[in-house]
Amino acid sequence: MAHLVEQLIYGLTVGSIYALIALGYTMVYGVMKLINFAHGELFTLGAYFGFVFLVTLNWGGFFGPAIAIGLTVILVSGLVAMAGHLLERVAYRPLRHSDRLAAVVSALGASIFLQNVIMVVWGSRYRAFNASLLPTVVWQVGGQNIPLIRLFVFLVAVAVMLGLYLFINRTRLGLAIRAAAIDQGAAKLMGVDVSRVIAVVFIIGPALGGLAGLLVGIYYGQINFNMGQIYGLKAFTAAVIGGIGNIPGAMIGGLVLGLLETLGDAYISGAWKDAIAFVALILILVFRPTGILRERVAEKL
Amino acid sequence: MGRFFSLWGYLVLTLFFAGTLAGEAQAQDKVQGSVKIGIMAPTTGPWATEGQDMVKVIEILAEEINAKGGLNGLKVELEIGDDGGSPKTAALAAQRLVTSAVVAVVGTYGSSVTEASQDIYDEAGVVQIATGSTSIRLSEKGLKRFFRTCPRDDEQGRVLADKVKELGFKKPAIVHDNTSYAKGLADETRAIFKKEGLAEVYFDAIIPGDRDFAVALSKIKAQNPDIIVFTGYYPEAGMILRQKKDLGWDVPMVGGDATNNRALVEIAGAEAASGYYFVSPPGPDDMNSPAAVKLFEVYRNKYKELPSSVWSVLAGDAFNVIAEAVTKVGSDSGKIAQYLHADLKNYEGLSGQISFNEKGDRIGEVYRLYRVDPQGKFVLQK
Repeated sequence: MAHLVEQLIYGLTVGSIYALIALGYTMVYGVMKLINFAHGELFTLGAYFGFVFLVTLNWGGFFGPAIAIGLTVILVSGLVAMAGHLLERVAYRPLRHSDRLAAVVSALGASIFLQNVIMVVWGSRYRAFNASLLPTVVWQVGGQNIPLIRLFVFLVAVAVMLGLYLFINRTRLGLAIRAAAIDQGAAKLMGVDVSRVIAVVFIIGPALGGLAGLLVGIYYGQINFNMGQIYGLKAFTAAVIGGIGNIPGAMIGGLVLGLLETLGDAYISGAWKDAIAFVALILILVFRPTGILRERVAEKL
Repeated sequence: MGRFFSLWGYLVLTLFFAGTLAGEAQAQDKVQGSVKIGIMAPTTGPWATEGQDMVKVIEILAEEINAKGGLNGLKVELEIGDDGGSPKTAALAAQRLVTSAVVAVVGTYGSSVTEASQDIYDEAGVVQIATGSTSIRLSEKGLKRFFRTCPRDDEQGRVLADKVKELGFKKPAIVHDNTSYAKGLADETRAIFKKEGLAEVYFDAIIPGDRDFAVALSKIKAQNPDIIVFTGYYPEAGMILRQKKDLGWDVPMVGGDATNNRALVEIAGAEAASGYYFVSPPGPDDMNSPAAVKLFEVYRNKYKELPSSVWSVLAGDAFNVIAEAVTKVGSDSGKIAQYLHADLKNYEGLSGQISFNEKGDRIGEVYRLYRVDPQGKFVLQK
């Protein structure tokens, strides 16, 4: 069990990225009972918007890395939020009163459409972020190597999630979201503007997904048009593991999945990393279909 | 519309056959004074660039020979068959080439395409020299008149292992990505290490398309290797290099020809990529044999650029050894094959020295070692 602390940090970094994406799935599911298959593509879009600002326009060279990344984070979140909002308007709102299957098919279509748009605009080859954007600092703590940037990624994700948690639990809009998640009809009767709630959910979720895409781009330095597929799948798994529709569940699910994967990779075999993640999904579905945190909505379905 | 097209189809077919027949009649006329060499190349289809380059290179070489009075006074005539990069078209092209009395055929690029034509040439007794088909089994069928100027897939593993040993590394860690190419190369390299008494300290796969290799790297590091041998592709290689640097670990790394791509440096950053080794056939940029230099000069004058890859140059080599054999033993296919197997030794080709073994595979190293310099350039190592 050598280097356990190291592996745990790696796992938490990977897991926090999954958690950020999983939040988008789970919030949409919570309110609309719809799995937004296009969410992985919104994540990819975040990475490519970041690419435009940091590589094509070379903001890092203009403003210095710290300001450039700060600006990019805000702009990318905003732009992907707009894309998410547009997606809801075009692909989901017209189908709100039709069959749920229609919405699922529309989501799949939107996913394929977005992926291909990204491919046409930026090409199918791998794109690289400038490696010198971030300084490399490695902490040596008791023989364990801890790259500082990983802690940074983890802390950014945790801060964002904490903010979201407070927003959902402490504000009126958050209350409205929770109400709509429990019962849309009753929430409407209580004067909650459900359309607005859905719009908000489709702004926050994509913003977080886009941010995750940007973090992946900056940290790993390599993006391509179909990266959203595997990340989307993993994040969806994380959402289910945590209990889909449950916001703290998505956070916990993401971290658990990241840790499972990393420890499986470290102590079993690297080739089995993905298999371990999906075996975890199957086990959860068989033995605890409601996820780690019992999900209220699913119980009623 | 349908009828319109079929009408055109007939017309084109008729013209085509008329053309072929006329060509054949012409060839019959002067068969006394010439020797026919076939080229089977994908001049159309997905690999059209490769195929067209093959033809261009051979045309230049043939013109040169003819300008000097031909082979033993016989003029070289080229007969081009388009395989379209597809096995089906290749079978037709091969049929056509063997009926037009070629002594030998150069080609082709794709392994599956070559495979579809092998038996046709063998039955007709025509020598075939493949130029880009690296699949191992092509030369394992016991065909007496099949050769190739390109390396086999297992050759790369051997060179990779040799280079690691030559550079003085003792404790390699082998990492592949479970794709058939990478796994095959890793197994091959491992087997040779074993034979040479070099035990790897680590052997495992990563997942292609994955982005986080920190865990894999920390596991490898725990085994304390003195070099990492990575047999996968450039997107993962680039990220491994980058994350290796993030960990502050400066162990060297070496890879195969699938990492010969400029994007590797973009992904890793020049600093992290600096010092990375890989083995690959040399590109036209790095071929410096006198014959190659001369060819490229003519080629550049004519087409304003170099051939896009090494494979068309290997087609030139195939043509050259055929010409050499015809000069030495005449234009009998059986004698040519025998000559190539037994008597052609260390022929100075475009891509280095050429000899063939009893299977018709090329002996000698086509793979070269490259290293990334601090500016991120790929530099051929001596």
